[in-house]
Amino acid sequence: MTRPLVSIRGVSQHFGADGSRVAALQSIDLDIPDGQFTALVGPSGCGKSTLLSLVAGLRLPSAGRVLCDGEPITGPMPRKVGMIFQEANLLPWLSAIDNVAFPLKLRHVAKAERLAAAGRMLDLTGLRGFEDRLPHQLSGGMKQRVAIARGLVQNPAVLLMDEPFASLDEQTRMVLGDELLRIWSETRKTVLFVTHSLNEAVYLADRVVVLSARPGRVVDDIPVDLPRPRTFAMTAGERFGALKDRIWQHIKSAERR
Amino acid sequence: MTWPERHVRLSQALLYLGILALWELTPRAGLVPRLFVPPLSEALGALVTHHRDYLGSLPTTFGEILAAYAIACGGGILLGQLVGASATARRVLLPVLRSVYAVPLVVLYPAMMVWFGLGSESKIAFAAIYAFIPTMLTAVAGVAALTPALAETARAFGATRGQQILYVALPASLPSIVAALRLGGALVIVGVIVAQMLGAADGLGYLITRHRTLLDSPGVYAGIVLVLAITGLHELILRRLERKVAAYRQGD
Amino acid sequence: MRRHERLIVAAVVLGLFGFWEAMVRLGRLDAGMAPAPSAVLAALKALLGRPEVLQSLAVTGWEVVAAFLLAVPVGLFLGFLLAEVPTLGALFRPLVNFLFGVPKSIFLPVFILVFGVSIPQKIAFGVFTTIFVLIVGGTAAVQSVPRELILVSRVYGASRGQIIREIYLPAMAPILLESVRLGMVFNITAVLLCEIYGARDGIGYRIAAWGENVQMPQLYAALVIVALAAVAVNEALRAVESRLGAWRERS
Repeated sequence: MTRPLVSIRGVSQHFGADGSRVAALQSIDLDIPDGQFTALVGPSGCGKSTLLSLVAGLRLPSAGRVLCDGEPITGPMPRKVGMIFQEANLLPWLSAIDNVAFPLKLRHVAKAERLAAAGRMLDLTGLRGFEDRLPHQLSGGMKQRVAIARGLVQNPAVLLMDEPFASLDEQTRMVLGDELLRIWSETRKTVLFVTHSLNEAVYLADRVVVLSARPGRVVDDIPVDLPRPRTFAMTAGERFGALKDRIWQHIKSAERR
Repeated sequence: MTWPERHVRLSQALLYLGILALWELTPRAGLVPRLFVPPLSEALGALVTHHRDYLGSLPTTFGEILAAYAIACGGGILLGQLVGASATARRVLLPVLRSVYAVPLVVLYPAMMVWFGLGSESKIAFAAIYAFIPTMLTAVAGVAALTPALAETARAFGATRGQQILYVALPASLPSIVAALRLGGALVIVGVIVAQMLGAADGLGYLITRHRTLLDSPGVYAGIVLVLAITGLHELILRRLERKVAAYRQGD
Repeated sequence: MRRHERLIVAAVVLGLFGFWEAMVRLGRLDAGMAPAPSAVLAALKALLGRPEVLQSLAVTGWEVVAAFLLAVPVGLFLGFLLAEVPTLGALFRPLVNFLFGVPKSIFLPVFILVFGVSIPQKIAFGVFTTIFVLIVGGTAAVQSVPRELILVSRVYGASRGQIIREIYLPAMAPILLESVRLGMVFNITAVLLCEIYGARDGIGYRIAAWGENVQMPQLYAALVIVALAAVAVNEALRAVESRLGAWRERS
C-alpha cells in the first residue's frame, strides 16, 4: 500500500496555559492518500480550521505528529501545501495576475517565468482576460478563483481549503464547486476541504470525515461512493440524501448540547 | 503581551502626574531655565495674581468667538447641507474646496488688519474664514454619507420634500452636524486667539503676547493654560453632545 | 469635474475678477484697500524681479523644508513605535491624541521665549506643529495593514523582510502619504505664522510689513504667490498619493 500523503497521528491541540486550557482537538488519527478529495465537517468550534492550520504548518501540534510525504511538518511548506481561506485575502494593490504570481515572487522566481505560470493558472480557473484587474474590480466568486489559482501556482501536492465558498451566494458556490472538481480532476491534487455545508461535502468529496464538538474527535469516516463526474441530479437522489443524513445525525446531536 | 486595564490606567495616571511633577521640579532644580519653562506653580500663580487682567480679557474673547462661531458654523453647516445634498454641487465644489484648504489662511490676517483695524471685527472675520471650509467639508461629508435608501423609503410612504428633510434628512445628519460644530468651534477658538496674538488691543491672545514681550514667562504660560482650559471645555461639551446624538445610531 | 463644469467654474472666477477690476476703475471700490487685479498683477511681476523678495521666499522655503525633513522621519518612527510596541502604545496613545487635539499655535510665544526670534525658532515650531500629524498617521498606517494578508504570506513562506517589503509598505503607503501631505499643510501654516508674528525675514515677515505700511498691491501679490505655492505643493503630494493609493476602492 502506498504511503499516505498526509498523515495525522495522535494529534491533540490545546490553547492557553494550564488552568485556562482549552482543548481544541483530541487524538486525531487520519491518513489521507495521494489524490483524494476529503471533506472535513463538524459543528461550530470543533477544530476543523485548527486541524487545517496544523497541516499548513502554521502551528505545531501540542501532541502527536503531522506528516507530509513521510516528513514531519515543522513550518509552512509553500511548495508542498497550498491554502485557500474563506476570504480570498488578495493583496488589494496587485492585479489578479500579480496576486497569483505572488508566492513565486517570494521565492525569487524570475518575472517572465512567474507571470507565465500565473497566466496558466488563471486560465485553469477560467479567468482569462481578467489578468490585469484589481481585486476591487472583481466579484466575490472571481476573487476566490484568483485565490485558488494562487494556491495552485506552485503546483503543491496538497491543497487545503478552509470554507472557501462560505461567503459567496448559493449559485456562485455551485458554479465554483463544479469548477473546483474540474480543476481537481485535471490536476489530481490531494484536497482537504473544510465546510459547514453537508451538501457541499457530499457533492465534492471522495470521503467525508466528521468531527465531534469541542474537543474535536473523529466520530465518523464516510466513503462517498457516488460516481464521478458528479451531477446536480445526484443531489436529489436517495444515496445522496442517505449520506447527508448520516452526517447530520452526528452534527445534530452535537449542536443540541 | 497586553496589560490588564487597571494597570494601563494606573500607568497613564502616573505618567501624567510625572509630567506635571517634571514641569514643577525641573525649573526649580535649575535643569531648565525659568525663562523657558517656569514651574507650574508659578504659572498658576500668575493666573491668580493677574486674575483681573485675564478675567477682563474674557468678555472680548468670548464675544469674538461666539460671533465667529455663528458665522463659520452657522454658514458652514448650512452651506454644507445644501452642497452635500446635490451630487453635482459636490462634484464641482469639493475639489476646489480641498485645494483651497491647503492655503495657509494665516497670511490673510495682515490684510484683515488693514480692512478692519485692530478691533474685534478683524478677529471675527479671520476666525470665521479660518473655520469655514473645514466645517463645511465635515457637514458635506455627513450629508453625502446618508443612505439614499432612507430618503427613498420616506418617498415610498408619500413624504413630501419638506417632510423628507424634516423627518429623515435632518435627524440623520445630526451627528455630522455636531461633528462639524466640534471641529469648527475648535478652529474658531484657535483663530480668535491667534489673531489676538498677532495684532490686537484686547483679548486673551493679546495678553499672552504682552507677557511675552515683557519676558514674563509665568504670565505667558498662565494665558496658555487658560486657552487650553477653554478648548478643553469646548471639547468636553461637544463630545458629550456628540455621544447623545449618536446614541440612536448604534446600528451604524 | 466634467470638462464643461470646469469651464463654467473658470468663467465664474474670471467674471468675479473682471467685476472687481471694473468696480475699482469706476471708483466704487477704494483702490487703497482693494487694488484692482491689474495692479496686483503688476506688483506681482515687480516683486518677482526684486532679489530681496526672492531671498525672503527662499528663507521661508528653507524653513519649511528643514522642519519637514526633521518632523517626518521622527514622527513616523514614533508612530510606528507606538503601533508595534503595545505597552508603549497603550501608555502614550491618549497623551498623543490629546496633544494632537490641542491647538499648537498658542505655544508660539513659548518658542520665542526659548529660541528668541530666529530661524531655528521657526524650524522648531514647524517641527512641533507637524510632528503630531505624522505620529498619528504612522500609527494609523501600521494598524491599517490587514492581518490576514500577513497570514497568507506566512503560508506562502515569506520571510520577515519580505513581509515588510511586500505587505506592510504597499498597504501603509496611502495613509502615510496622506499624513505627509497634511503635515506639510500644517507645516507651511506654522512657519508663516511665525514669520507674521515676529521675524526678521521671510515672506510672512514681508507680508506683515506691507500690511503695516498699507502697501496693498504688494501685500496681495505676495498672498497670491504664497497661495499658489502652497496649493502647488499640496496638489503635487496629492498626485503621488493618488497613484500609490489607486487600489483602494472608491467609496
